[in-house]
Amino acid sequence: MFKLDRKLITIGMTLALSTTLSVAAASTACIPGVYKSKPGAIDGGVIYPRENGVYTAYRYNTQSTKGVNFGRTPTANEIKAWDVDARPDGKGLPDGEGSVEDGDELFDAQCAVCHGDFGGGGKGYPQLAGGNQAKDKNGVVITLKNQRIKPGMDAPKRTVGTYWPYATTLFTYIRDAMPYAHPKSLTNDEVYALTAYILAQNEIKIDGQEMDDEYVLNKEKLMKVVLPNKDGFYPVIDGPEGPANVKAFFADRAKNIGMGTRCMKDCKDPSSGPGEKGLPAKLMKIKYEMKDVVPPYAFGKDLPPETDAGSVSKGEKLYDSSCKLCHGNDTMGAPRVGDASAWAAVMKKGMDKVLVNAIKGTGGMPPKGGNTDLSDADIKTIIEYMVGASK
Amino acid sequence: MGKMKIKAKEKGGVVKVKAMFTSVMADKEEAEKKKIKPEFFTYIVAKANGKVVFDATTSGFMSENPLLKFSFTGAKKGDELEFTLTDNNGKVTTGKKKIK
Repeated sequence: MFKLDRKLITIGMTLALSTTLSVAAASTACIPGVYKSKPGAIDGGVIYPRENGVYTAYRYNTQSTKGVNFGRTPTANEIKAWDVDARPDGKGLPDGEGSVEDGDELFDAQCAVCHGDFGGGGKGYPQLAGGNQAKDKNGVVITLKNQRIKPGMDAPKRTVGTYWPYATTLFTYIRDAMPYAHPKSLTNDEVYALTAYILAQNEIKIDGQEMDDEYVLNKEKLMKVVLPNKDGFYPVIDGPEGPANVKAFFADRAKNIGMGTRCMKDCKDPSSGPGEKGLPAKLMKIKYEMKDVVPPYAFGKDLPPETDAGSVSKGEKLYDSSCKLCHGNDTMGAPRVGDASAWAAVMKKGMDKVLVNAIKGTGGMPPKGGNTDLSDADIKTIIEYMVGASK
Repeated sequence: MGKMKIKAKEKGGVVKVKAMFTSVMADKEEAEKKKIKPEFFTYIVAKANGKVVFDATTSGFMSENPLLKFSFTGAKKGDELEFTLTDNNGKVTTGKKKIK
């Protein structure tokens, strides 16, 4: 029965398969954005457009949210419990005060075990003070531009003094997340004291005034703190122009994020990329190869060449593989290597006769010891070794 | 060179001292790599009431921004502890702190 229907089944299978394939091809073409890279897409990948000319690397849900139940309006108490942050301008900071000296005591007792003495950093925990606050002519902290991989350069140290933009977040962070083992255990006064101590260790001046031990920090003074790296972030997201700045920044990804199109063919060809004007091809080569390795990298894949030099001579090697079975001991009746009298008797015949016997076989010994692959010269080398080793 | 961070506390006749100094502590080899001038402390001395309580001859072996800890007896609260640092370029820095 199967034999009868075989032709039909084959035709049916072919039809079904072709239908599936064509449907799959059609559906692929229908999905917007897939496999259709547009110029400017991150890393030459897929993009999904949103409104206002903005696009993302992820699929954007365009479904209507009408009729979806988003929950209820939060109560005033819930908002109060959630709204605990402090803005850069100081809005949201609680009342309280604390001196640098109080902060010193608290820091030694609760913080220095991880963050190090004077906030100098501990293993695996952030450094709070230190680092070079020197800036270049554009107002950028110089060490923050250093690349970690570049030898002979200090890695950027991101401390409160060199990296943080606003001191008010220092207050809220300590209050909500520190000490690590038991957060939210400090009072507002204690948090003000710790904030004062950390700012003092970073040599921050408030209103031009240096923070000595007796300096007392409170809400009004914390609002006035200007940290060195305040303007070191881009795009500027603060203020009424913030959203517009962000939009403008992400509108030109190729320039601002530094990602362009990925080269997929003819990358080696100088005429494929900017190479047309005598510039290098799109394909980039490794600029700094690792050469200072001892011993140097080997690129060959063959084994090191065999040398005759060494403790094992060629004759001994051949003897080991072809002759040792009989000549290695007395049981086979062959003259044993190392037996001086036996070999003296053999050598009485003369080297030429011994060689002929070895090649053609004599008595119980097969020609060439049974290994006919050996050349006559090899046999001579072996005999010389055996005689030499038996003196 | 930033300011010296010194902390000295007296308890039961013993004064415990912690101090941190700002310096790159780059010896000749390290300075060559970083393309800067060699700069490291060669001598660190601490005096209380004019009496030497701690001194050390140092070099690039110490880390950047070195931290010192030691304790001594024979000083009381309110006395002044004075650090004098000499670096390889002959620069001398001093810092004072009252013992608490």
